[in-house]
Amino acid sequence: MARLVILGAGVSGHTAASFAAKWLGNEHEVVVVTPNSKWNWIPSNIWVGVGEMSKEEVTFDLAPVYEKAGVTYKQAKAISINPEGSDTIDAPFVTIEYTGQDKEGEREEVAYDYLINATGPKLNFGATPGLDEGHTVSVCTADHAVHAAETLQQCIEKMRAGEEQTFLIGTGHGMCTCQGAAFEYIFNIEHKLQEEGVRDKAKMIWISNESFLGDFGMGGLHFKMGGYVTSSKVFAESLYSERGLDWILGTHVNKVEAGKVTYESLDGTTGEQEFDFAMLIPPFAGVGLKAFSKTGEDITADIFAPNGFMKVDADYTPKPYEEWKPQDWPSTLQNPTYKNMFAVGIAFAPPHIISKPMSSPNGTPINPTPPRTGMPSAMMGKAVAQSVCDMIKGVSETPTHTANMSKMGAACVASAGKGLFSGTAAAMTVYPIIPDYEKYPGTGRDINGTTGEIGLAAHWVKHLLHYAFIWKAQLKPGWTLIPE
Amino acid sequence: MSEIQEESKHVQHIQPYSAQSGTMVPLGMQKFLRTCVLWQIIRFIAINIRMTILILKSHNQS
Ligand SMILES: Cc1cc2nc3c(=O)[nH]c(=O)nc-3n(C[C@H](O)[C@H](O)[C@H](O)COP(=O)(O)OP(=O)(O)OC[C@H]3O[C@@H](n4cnc5c(N)ncnc54)[C@H](O)[C@@H]3O)c2cc1C
Repeated sequence: MARLVILGAGVSGHTAASFAAKWLGNEHEVVVVTPNSKWNWIPSNIWVGVGEMSKEEVTFDLAPVYEKAGVTYKQAKAISINPEGSDTIDAPFVTIEYTGQDKEGEREEVAYDYLINATGPKLNFGATPGLDEGHTVSVCTADHAVHAAETLQQCIEKMRAGEEQTFLIGTGHGMCTCQGAAFEYIFNIEHKLQEEGVRDKAKMIWISNESFLGDFGMGGLHFKMGGYVTSSKVFAESLYSERGLDWILGTHVNKVEAGKVTYESLDGTTGEQEFDFAMLIPPFAGVGLKAFSKTGEDITADIFAPNGFMKVDADYTPKPYEEWKPQDWPSTLQNPTYKNMFAVGIAFAPPHIISKPMSSPNGTPINPTPPRTGMPSAMMGKAVAQSVCDMIKGVSETPTHTANMSKMGAACVASAGKGLFSGTAAAMTVYPIIPDYEKYPGTGRDINGTTGEIGLAAHWVKHLLHYAFIWKAQLKPGWTLIPE
Repeated sequence: MSEIQEESKHVQHIQPYSAQSGTMVPLGMQKFLRTCVLWQIIRFIAINIRMTILILKSHNQS
């Protein structure tokens, strides 16, 4: 009997665990180690953050789902990996520390035959002074979003009483990703304020490390519209302009204080922006797993990139932007040194960013880091689960499946306001995620596969996806028919 | 309301020479279509077809 251990039960880890348990049956063991007791459909946190959904609607308990699936569930966080074992334990193992199941703080060594690291991001609020001091809100977790909704409600009350309020939404550091989430949040707040009849009392400002609106950490995208090929810059600017939102771009927020941020810009200038309500996405890092050799030597730097994400089959040779190739991006997501170890979703180390690297005159990097959204994360989870299952069953000694972001598209539906008949969203498809300027000269992407439109239909799609993905994650009847 | 007044209500919040004035802004018909249920049912089908094609293409990585 082989044991597959999966670290993290988010989008990618839960997908990998669900499929692996189904394909391996009772002959082998699937163990999930994750610190949270609940699964969270993170995209809908945006609606929690404006008071349109409750925390309960976007989360569910993991224990009964794993029990049904025959997965061993350990509510714990991984601390370190010993890919060669240790002087006392022969097999590779992970050291975990319980966060629940009445074993809080207890440590355990969990041996594995195969390991999938799906630990997602560490929300690195500490990278910007003041960002972790409660002056701003966040929607990155369901609990954060509940708090954001309460703070928003207080602002709405003030506006009802005639006070003007300034809303500042965007990125809280020059190296952030996940602009899409902040994009959704600013539009959902705007929609909410319209519905509450207080929009005229709000000044709304977008602040971002993108060098242009619509970069989204992917260097922007182009799609066909009205007989033209249009940049996402025009698409995004149009939407911001229509809704009366101002924007400050190319910024590294370097300090957050009560009611004020200080920032440095790509052009070398510095500035300040006051706010009454701010939601600034923190930069992401790896979750800080350590790695040790059999003799106890610290080999973290061999297995993880400096940003804490796990190295896989990508080409990490440093090279200038002009020489970046789609082939730099990983396919099998297998660690090059330890072939029984994989990383999926946000946990794998990208070879480089996707947007063009930029920095301020005094050398501060100000550029979005690469997004790894839900669809690619889930696809990686499934592909790696397929490879591992084939390797366990002896079908192959090497990975049989790939999930390369340069051969994969992403569907992204960004909510711009919730409402069965009044809601809107931007439905975007991009193919491939990593631009390939040799195959698609000019835009780097297939202009027939890269699309964008705004409307109620996209909102319906977004709402449908909310129910479909929670259904799928709960492994309810027909879950395998719902695509990643 | 004259046609000119009717159309200008979609752009009157824009300040000249501001960043917002440098892009395209939808007028009434465009905005109407965005929440017109009949048109959006058609778009709903179109978006789903588009996304299905994308998913199939992404799963087939050979
Ligand atoms: C507000 C918001 C809105 C978003 N909206 C969209 C959207 O509309 N569409 C879209 O495609 N994407 C969206 N995304 C991005 C999407 O959520 C991510 O792409 C996706 O969650 C990444 O999956 P993952 O499995 O890599 O990480 P996660 O889903 O973050 O999962 C990581 C898991 O690892 C666990 N973990 C952490 N540390 C450890 C440890 N030490 N040991 C074990 N487990 C650990 C975590 O608790 C978590 O369960 C959004 C993100 C945010 C923040």
